[in-house]
Amino acid sequence: MGMAAFLLRRLLGLVGVLLGMSVLIFGIVHILPGNVAYAILGEFATPAAVAQLEAKLGLNDPLPVQYWRWLGAMLHGDFGMSIVMQRPAAPLIAEALGRSALLAVFAFGLVAMGGIGLGLYAATHRGRASDKVLTLAQFLLIAVPEFFWAILAVLVFASWLNLLPATGYAPLSEGVAKWASHLVLPVLVLAFGLVAHVSRLTRSSMIEVLDSRYVLAARARGLPERKVLWRHALPNALLPAITVLAIDAGLLIGGIVVVETVFAYPGLGRLLVYAIERHDLPLLQVGMMVVTAIYALANFVAELLYAVLNPRIRVAGATA
Amino acid sequence: MLDATIRTGAALEIEALSVAYPSRGGWLQALDGVSLSIAAGSVRGLVGESGSGKSTVVLALLGLLGPAARVTAERLAFDGHDLFANASALRGRRIGVVFQDTAAALNPALTIGSQVIEPMRVHLGTEHRAAWQRGTDLLAEMGIPRPAQVMRSYPHQLSGGMKQRVGIAAALASEPDLLLLDEPTTALDVTIEAQILALLDELRSRRNLAMLLVSHNLGIVDRLCDTVSVLYAGRLVESGTTGEVLHRPRHPYTKGLLAALPRPDRPHAGRLAPIQGNLPDLTAPDPGCNFRPRCAFAVAGCYRPQLLSGDRHQVSCHRVDAVADLPWPAEPVPPTAAPVASAVPLVEARELSIRFDSGGWLQRLLGKVGGVLAVDRVSVTIRNGEVLGLVGESGCGKSTLGRLLLRLLPARGGTLRFASAVVGARPDAHFRQRAQVVFQNSDTSLNPRQTVGMILGRAVRWFAIASIDAEVSAEVDRLLDLVRLPRSYAQRYPHQLSGGEKQRVGIARALASRPKFLVCDEAVSALDVSVQAAVLNLLRDLRDELSVAYLFISHDIGVIAHIADRVAVMYQGTIVEEGAVGDVLQPPYHPYTELLLSSVPLIGKRRTVAASTQAARAVPMAGGCKFADRCTRRVGPICDSVPPPVQQAAPGHGIRCHIPLPELAAVPHWLSQ
Repeated sequence: MGMAAFLLRRLLGLVGVLLGMSVLIFGIVHILPGNVAYAILGEFATPAAVAQLEAKLGLNDPLPVQYWRWLGAMLHGDFGMSIVMQRPAAPLIAEALGRSALLAVFAFGLVAMGGIGLGLYAATHRGRASDKVLTLAQFLLIAVPEFFWAILAVLVFASWLNLLPATGYAPLSEGVAKWASHLVLPVLVLAFGLVAHVSRLTRSSMIEVLDSRYVLAARARGLPERKVLWRHALPNALLPAITVLAIDAGLLIGGIVVVETVFAYPGLGRLLVYAIERHDLPLLQVGMMVVTAIYALANFVAELLYAVLNPRIRVAGATA
Repeated sequence: MLDATIRTGAALEIEALSVAYPSRGGWLQALDGVSLSIAAGSVRGLVGESGSGKSTVVLALLGLLGPAARVTAERLAFDGHDLFANASALRGRRIGVVFQDTAAALNPALTIGSQVIEPMRVHLGTEHRAAWQRGTDLLAEMGIPRPAQVMRSYPHQLSGGMKQRVGIAAALASEPDLLLLDEPTTALDVTIEAQILALLDELRSRRNLAMLLVSHNLGIVDRLCDTVSVLYAGRLVESGTTGEVLHRPRHPYTKGLLAALPRPDRPHAGRLAPIQGNLPDLTAPDPGCNFRPRCAFAVAGCYRPQLLSGDRHQVSCHRVDAVADLPWPAEPVPPTAAPVASAVPLVEARELSIRFDSGGWLQRLLGKVGGVLAVDRVSVTIRNGEVLGLVGESGCGKSTLGRLLLRLLPARGGTLRFASAVVGARPDAHFRQRAQVVFQNSDTSLNPRQTVGMILGRAVRWFAIASIDAEVSAEVDRLLDLVRLPRSYAQRYPHQLSGGEKQRVGIARALASRPKFLVCDEAVSALDVSVQAAVLNLLRDLRDELSVAYLFISHDIGVIAHIADRVAVMYQGTIVEEGAVGDVLQPPYHPYTELLLSSVPLIGKRRTVAASTQAARAVPMAGGCKFADRCTRRVGPICDSVPPPVQQAAPGHGIRCHIPLPELAAVPHWLSQ
């Protein structure tokens, strides 16, 4: 199997996952209590008005027809309306997504670099005091949920030290310092647990590789330790870390909802929570689709990266 | 120091090397005062069973034992350089290493080329382009076809034999003077092993290389080495020229090793002579002879400390003169022995096939399904109480056929009869009870959280042999008696057993249902020779006592020749030859059988096998003889197009080949070459 076939297969898989998820999301939203027409007209609307609106919105059509209409519209770029805010959903989501992406990118970068870096450090200092301290800290970070860190961070840095703003968001136009000061705490809290997670995994996979026959063979060939570590060990040790980073991208999205709520940060997570609270079902549907797509894409990218680093997937067939 | 080097002409000198590792039970003495030397251009074999410390010697020479190990030596020198202080300066440069299982010793993420040229770049400072060219030449010298293409390949694209050639090339890249070979052919098929040995032999004379060959396989040591040292539990027990040590052994342990070895040149040669007992506890080394508890010749005085003594042929034994002419004693024959092979067929398979498809759902959708016929219309018959041996190279379908006969895999076609009754695709419990299996690795097939008694008791209850607790434990005792384990072992957990004992438990479990047919899938392959002999004897006795029939699957022709009544030789899913052991082991043979037999390293027979690189095609040609592309005796195009017929050389001896029988018979006996 060549790289092209691999790519094709994964792309088809990606489309399949998105289609399947769209059915699920559509279905779940329709099981939720609440009625779009009531949500628009208010609780005291007359049954006649509700019926009229339902007919207008096509809510009386069979579910598959509604689903098809919704999917078709999305594929044509029509993401529908937020019925509560009476605004098109697309720009609402785009704006929130942009702010969330800011959090996610910084947090993810911190997770990838910090997690892998700490993992490698621990693996090469196996059994020493620094490794043991790191291990302890990592378990603490993994075990304690992020809302705890979020509240602690607000108490220490915002209320007590008064160094950083506790909540909210400032656009870049108000100055870099102000913009960044609103990002620091959410990003740190978001990254905390995941750094620990990734570094644990990197440590164990690096240790496994360092104990492998081919690393022994590389040393036996008299290669300097630097070469053994960076050329022979690292690429193999990173493979599992990449898979986990993709899974962590999913955890990150979950974390964003929590962190944005605690820090009152106007991102996609908060928008979704808002849509759920206000029964804004069209907005909720589209928002969830966007989240799903991001997660599926992250996994797709991880698989590609994995294939690039792993010749057993990239290069096929026997030559001798 | 330099004087000594010049005087002895030794490339490598080890004097009183001791290595200890920290372990839970205290310091574990892996090596205890080992001394040996290797002259420039000569080959020394270092033999011993697992746990003897062979590989520790290699790692100590490279300075790669790790910081936890405690290493002492009076002298550890290579060409006058102190290896104690300078191992890192010499390793990879003047000392090359080839490890067992190159599949794991090559980095999966780097190309072959980059791994082969690395030592040149690092040690010789060769610039990249020149090193690449040199690497390509080196691969060509190792007999690798299309070397330029292989340089750009990744390890997973190469066969096992090719990987081992690459491993040797990488070890030779920096032009070393000493090559350390740690079980270099252990993971390979005999045919590939013969090629690698021929290559090493050739290299040693062409490049005047000194070599240290570490192996448990006495046959290949005899084939390649000038001198041999025998290691037992961290101490050298015998050392001398290959002829002296392997053909006229003086130490009881060496005698025992040779007596325990099943030899294909002596089929059915009575019972093997195992060495009883296990390795001693290395955390509390015996100051006296540490082989004493297992030695058949031990007397009261053997507790005294001793050293290697003798001039050239050195032996470490108090009773060396007293036992000089005594052979290692064979195990007594149990009184109940009575051969029981009858003419009644028990297992009858007709035209069984199985195909393994490759490719995912997309390939299937596009109609591009690849696949191999792992077993291709195979018919075998095994009679009551008969042992059918099944040999062939790895991947030939031996294990798959074994599983088909147990209906553990779904056959694509054909019929299976057991005791005259047809066995369907989903056999009933009655069939499962009468047909059982023993695997290679009892290590992984025994539940580590259950005692031996629980493991056996569960099988007893499952097959409703007994259900009341007292009856079950009586039955467990009976099973332990059968496999010659003390009844107290019922309380033990698998990790408290040695390899041979675990395998006995595996056999006992298979016998729990009182089966009439056992598939032994490489059942003794993972065991050391001394233990293997005992398990082989046990299996033979059980056959006689219980009249169980075996399908005995092994890649080791010596084992098959010892235990089997009839042999089937398998090649790429087809049985190419089948007959009584005596018939198959002498002409006429199928050309593939001939190749297999001539590849087996035999003690006392230095045969030369051409270092041919011919390997099997991954997917055999449709239609013709599957062996045609490797066969050196092709008749003509008919071999590629027409499936060969089965020719009857003798009653019950069939050969699937186009070559006329008289021509097949007109080859020299494989032992007389």
